[in-house]
Amino acid sequence: MSLLVRRQIPILIVFVSALLVMVDYFLKIPGTGPVVKDLQNWGIILTAFALGFGAVNLFYLHTRHISRRTAGQWPFSIWLLLMIVVFAVIGVATGPTGPQYSWLYNASYFALNATVYSSLGFYMTTGCYRALRARNAEAALLLVVGAIALLKNAPAVAVGIPVIIPAEAWLSAIPTTSAQRGIMIGASLGAIALGVRTMIGRETGFLGRLTEAERRGGT
Amino acid sequence: MSKKGKGFWARLEDVPREVLYVILLIVFIIPMLNPIGFPVPISDAVKKWYATIDAMPAGSAIMIDFGYSGGGEPELGPMAVAVYHHIFRKGGLKSITMSTSIEGPLLWDKVIAEVKPETYGAKYGVDYIHIGYISGTETAMAAVGKDLRATTNTDYKKVSLDQFPIMQGIKDASSFKLLICYTTGGDQSEGWVRQWYTPYKVPYLCSVIAMMVPTMLPYQKAGQIVSLTAGAQAGEMELLIKMPGRGIKSADVITLTHLLVFAFVIIGNIAYYGRKASERAGGG
Amino acid sequence: MGMLIALWIFIIGCMEMAKKKLPSFRKLAGLDALPEMVGRAAEMNRPVHFTTGLGELTGTVAPQLVAGLAVLGYVSELAAKYGVKIIYSVYQAQVMPIATELMREAYIRAGKADAFDAEGQIRYLSGEQFAYATAVQGIAERERPAANIMIGPFYAESMMFSETFFRIGSIQLAGTARGYQIPFFAVVCDYLLIGEEIYAAGAYLSKDAVQCGSIQGQDLGKLIAWILMFIGVLATAAGSPIIIDLLKA
Repeated sequence: MSLLVRRQIPILIVFVSALLVMVDYFLKIPGTGPVVKDLQNWGIILTAFALGFGAVNLFYLHTRHISRRTAGQWPFSIWLLLMIVVFAVIGVATGPTGPQYSWLYNASYFALNATVYSSLGFYMTTGCYRALRARNAEAALLLVVGAIALLKNAPAVAVGIPVIIPAEAWLSAIPTTSAQRGIMIGASLGAIALGVRTMIGRETGFLGRLTEAERRGGT
Repeated sequence: MSKKGKGFWARLEDVPREVLYVILLIVFIIPMLNPIGFPVPISDAVKKWYATIDAMPAGSAIMIDFGYSGGGEPELGPMAVAVYHHIFRKGGLKSITMSTSIEGPLLWDKVIAEVKPETYGAKYGVDYIHIGYISGTETAMAAVGKDLRATTNTDYKKVSLDQFPIMQGIKDASSFKLLICYTTGGDQSEGWVRQWYTPYKVPYLCSVIAMMVPTMLPYQKAGQIVSLTAGAQAGEMELLIKMPGRGIKSADVITLTHLLVFAFVIIGNIAYYGRKASERAGGG
Repeated sequence: MGMLIALWIFIIGCMEMAKKKLPSFRKLAGLDALPEMVGRAAEMNRPVHFTTGLGELTGTVAPQLVAGLAVLGYVSELAAKYGVKIIYSVYQAQVMPIATELMREAYIRAGKADAFDAEGQIRYLSGEQFAYATAVQGIAERERPAANIMIGPFYAESMMFSETFFRIGSIQLAGTARGYQIPFFAVVCDYLLIGEEIYAAGAYLSKDAVQCGSIQGQDLGKLIAWILMFIGVLATAAGSPIIIDLLKA
């Protein structure tokens, strides 16, 4: 496939689309609004088609596991494919707010979701146990700040040791907020620079890196 | 020091995670089954949240985003319930809810079932409504802010919005006096700042999961968010409205588990220094 | 929009200047460690796991996803050269065609086109956060990768990934511009890229002059922001809102 089709045309599409969206956001030029809305709708439609592509990949991968009887995997693959079919059929038949789908969702997915989310508490406990050790000055500082935050977020302790509340409030308002602002500014500038590179075709990570021949021919 | 002493500190420094998990689990379960009733201070953030809603004039429309997933329900659900109790008890306010999370409508149903608005005389379509999940997160927020009816013309059960008195006069972001967001995702909590506060200056109350608070603080300090709370502060809101529920029951668990983690950290540090001391003594 | 255009012109200017003299970067230990991580996997005969986290190509975190894909291309080429299997866990299905093309080209560049198995190596797991998270944990437990690379937008599952891969003994590099998750990666992972360092990854790894120039432009932009802040603090303390009005305009 020629360089024009593999590189230049996708880059041109990225440039024009990004420019249109930005112009519509900042300048509100008549006529760009409907075009941008169409672009956004196309994005949603592409996502939906990509979902189908993902489902095909899932089916392929897991039927491969089932046919090969991959040890420790194939019974779960059968269960996964069965659940995909059950959720899809019931969801389409009754709609996402239908009573059957709601029951299925609440009884399985919602409960599992909450459970897995809750497991984060355990992971954080072991993380804190391992990480909050005063190995050096910075680690000691992290330990002190972490301890203050832990104690302030324990409501009864905050009542018993009132000084914790203004201490944590100062830590949140001054150093934490400042650091977060710095990270946000840096990340925003980084995203802008990445956007510029992407729009002018110099960030081709999403297209694959340039080969040596392309690099010689492209610059 | 003897080999046995060294072994002890090293073992204590590297306690198997299963032991930590079991102890944590026990500390979770006991206060859930047997509430202790630890005191809970009411923070300024929650008081401000309460005062903001209380100050809303009658007839004000409030946009509420149920932008959290099932995983965040135990933390944010109680806050949503307490706030709805406050809104319905005050009366005269119009709550228009949307979801930027696909699970939002289902979670809203759960919250409404718990609140029982009919006990306050509130009616669906008159005092409160859910206009459904709108995909696209910030795109959805921008679209709703620009022209709500162009973005969606039905409620979450696909009934035309024209049939509901609450939607009369509701056109875009300027129709709303307050924005409330419950979310587990930074895209939603930050997105509302960019898409509703910045262009339309709609006052914004935000409730997020506790770990998101430090990152959202710059927005609150800059005045872009009126009040920022962690969902775990639902118990404080319940105390303010004098309706204890799931939130205040969790407060005991939160206190004990935080103290337990603090104790683990102290033990870990003692073990670390104990091991170092024993190594120095053994090597000396 | 004026400020944005000015920033663009500034960045493009730096990119042009970089063609004459390549700017130097401070060391990013995480990115320098990538060959070591893939080499470790080769020695242990275990795969490398890569994930670009959650996030859509059409969403606000798309730049982080793109940054992750840039690193994926580099790591895929390394993995192909060393004969290591790389597993890419996909959350967003629309990334799959891009990843397939990216990794195929990487294998071709490494001269190992036949070794690429798209269906086995690029795995769409789920579009739901915790279903995806538990599936990745399943990959960790069953396939026990020697290295885990996580670059992109991550949410609550970050701690789950870090702890699980730590437990199985993987060496880990993580990078995200989502401030919520940086602390969790910091306490567990061996190497960390914070904030805009992930955006610099593509330039840092490719050593492309123009890309490096844009990083220099972004750093100079930060310097300008710092100067504005400093002047703003002084002006506000003196009672003048000049900088605030300038930025609001």
